[in-house]
Amino acid sequence: MESVYDKIIIGAGLYGMYAALHCAKKGERVLVLEYDDAPFKRATYINQARVHMGYHYPRSLSTAMKSAGYFKRFVEEFGFCIHSSFRQIYATSAKFSWTDKKQFQDFCKAAEIKCEEMPVSGYFKAGMCDGAFLTEEYTYDAMLLRDYYVKELFGRSNVEVRYGARIGKICRKGSSYEVHLSDGSRFSSGYILNATYASTNQILQLVEGADFKPFDIKYELCEIILCRPGERLENIGITVMDGPFFSIMPFGKTGYHSLTSVTFTPHVTSYERLPSFSCQRGEECNMGQLANCNDCKDKPETAWEYMARLAGKYMREDLEFAYAGSLFSMKPILKSSEVDDSRPTRIRIDSVEPHFVSVLSGKINTVYDLEEFL
Amino acid sequence: MVTADKKESKFVSVVVYLHNDSRHIAPFFDTVLGMFRDNFEKYEIICVNDASTDDSVKILKDYFEKGEETGKNGLSAMSQETVESVEAAGKGNKNGRETLWNGSMINIIHMSYFQGLEASMNAGRDMAIGDFVYEFDDINPDYPPELIRDVYDRMLSGYDIVAASCKGKIKLTSRLFYLFYNLTSSSRNKIGQETFRILSRRAINRVMSMGQYIPYRKAVYVNCGLKTDTVYYESRSSVGRHKSKTDGNERMSLAIDSFIYFTNVLERLSLVVSGAFLLFTLGVAVYIAGSFFSANKPVEGWLSTMGFLSLGFFGVFSLLTFILKYLSVMLSLIFKHQRYLIEGVEKISKQ
Repeated sequence: MESVYDKIIIGAGLYGMYAALHCAKKGERVLVLEYDDAPFKRATYINQARVHMGYHYPRSLSTAMKSAGYFKRFVEEFGFCIHSSFRQIYATSAKFSWTDKKQFQDFCKAAEIKCEEMPVSGYFKAGMCDGAFLTEEYTYDAMLLRDYYVKELFGRSNVEVRYGARIGKICRKGSSYEVHLSDGSRFSSGYILNATYASTNQILQLVEGADFKPFDIKYELCEIILCRPGERLENIGITVMDGPFFSIMPFGKTGYHSLTSVTFTPHVTSYERLPSFSCQRGEECNMGQLANCNDCKDKPETAWEYMARLAGKYMREDLEFAYAGSLFSMKPILKSSEVDDSRPTRIRIDSVEPHFVSVLSGKINTVYDLEEFL
Repeated sequence: MVTADKKESKFVSVVVYLHNDSRHIAPFFDTVLGMFRDNFEKYEIICVNDASTDDSVKILKDYFEKGEETGKNGLSAMSQETVESVEAAGKGNKNGRETLWNGSMINIIHMSYFQGLEASMNAGRDMAIGDFVYEFDDINPDYPPELIRDVYDRMLSGYDIVAASCKGKIKLTSRLFYLFYNLTSSSRNKIGQETFRILSRRAINRVMSMGQYIPYRKAVYVNCGLKTDTVYYESRSSVGRHKSKTDGNERMSLAIDSFIYFTNVLERLSLVVSGAFLLFTLGVAVYIAGSFFSANKPVEGWLSTMGFLSLGFFGVFSLLTFILKYLSVMLSLIFKHQRYLIEGVEKISKQ
């Protein structure tokens, strides 16, 4: 027996859930297929939880301006999960930075985003940073966001969400796609949205006879460290730019800070089209299907010592923090974006009638890009 | 046999200079890696690739990426005479997670173009995050691995900078340089040939807060005002050490620069020159005065011409002394600029 839907959405991260709710509100019949046993268990939850205003991209004005535009809308719409009452400090490193103080200021001016100069010595050790700026940037709480979507979607009769879904293959049948799960169930729809982030290429190669081009990405297994901020750090977020540095900022409304660094957050990298790692030893996780890295027993040892030391090298002694835990997730990175460090949202229509659309985005607030494709 | 009863909880950074020296890569890491692995709980390795044109980078990457899998590196050179330790190494290696992580804290800094030892090592040291930083100026491992620990222990006994220096043969030009430099330098500490050294974070902070660019590390380090020491060793290799890292011209110009930056040789020299001319002009003045009163008159106008010339030259040489002083002040101002250019930082990690 085969069920027919208006749209089948693969992946219950923010992009998948956003699309599901958007379409459900239009009255469409929607099916969401998720590998894990709950939504938001991977990249939506396991990242810096930064609502990007654009400061991160001083070498890509286009990315910055787009982020700033979406920032306002996201903060208004999802205000319930936004933590905004902290001071977000951006600083430019005195050494090794691709961008210096003046360039950062000029960039903020061009992007029309807040950038108030602060005394460097208020946060950093002498000589480490050449400029510090008070900026306007927030953090979102993925778990509150998840609860919102669960509540919004589950009361609707036209939305169905299947957890623990193992997709065997996807075949084209006339003007629709048929999704076969390994438990034998089959679903069919004229529109498939592939919103699986790190698994995007894996889903693409499940489509039989279509030969969709994989995204040109590399994979990084990333660690987000959660730490308990000391009293003085509690209401401060710090990001040191623009090179091999670090960021420590509130993690949603959890009371924790996330600690990440450019060199130590990625543990292992795969340059293959499909993610291939030496830690993939079980049946569960392989080149064709990524299991959840955070739940994996073979996840790497924490890089806390390294990241803490890097942060400690820059930050004043009185801004204290202590280790609370680590979260791991797989992150795909478009290879083309390395030079200007831009993070474009890539939405690709692989086929029309039936539609197959793939989305790849590393930022939460560019989710609105999806709308015109739904 | 390595004594690794208790690992140090201090975090060390190992900064290694690499320039067209592929043949030494494996012997070097075989020698030192085991020591770091056994003695320190956490360490990072930063290789500064100073625009190598040979296959150094490839060999380096292969060493860590493939070596990790076979569990060979760092352990092969280390105490193979005892069967237990080899077995222990094999056991440790089955723990895949440890090797996985160990492989991912090796960073390579790629310099944009050839910038020489000093600038490259400055970049490496700036990137290091450790409590203690080892600086390996070259990767010719002609010392026993235990020396790495010896240097560390010496540091803990109360020094901020400890160098390892090879006893014996040293090039005549180098010897002359150090001799003359130490004679003219105002620092109480002397510099000499060094193979590698260890710095404390305190020493690095001090050097940074002196707020100047570091054209010649050895000189700045001994001038930072903290206690320094040197550990001497006998070279294991019979050939002696060859420093071919920087070519002759560059070393020459670094030597001259160092004299200008860190000694007052030129100031003193110009002072001596001015003094000599002062004496000379005084002599001339006496002669002129004598001539004036003596009956033996020289040619008409000679006295006034000579008097003017000697006075004038005296003025010129005194002025030059001042100008030299100004120039040295301006030089130190220019030091504050970042003086190295890096192309990128790359992390070696296994898939």
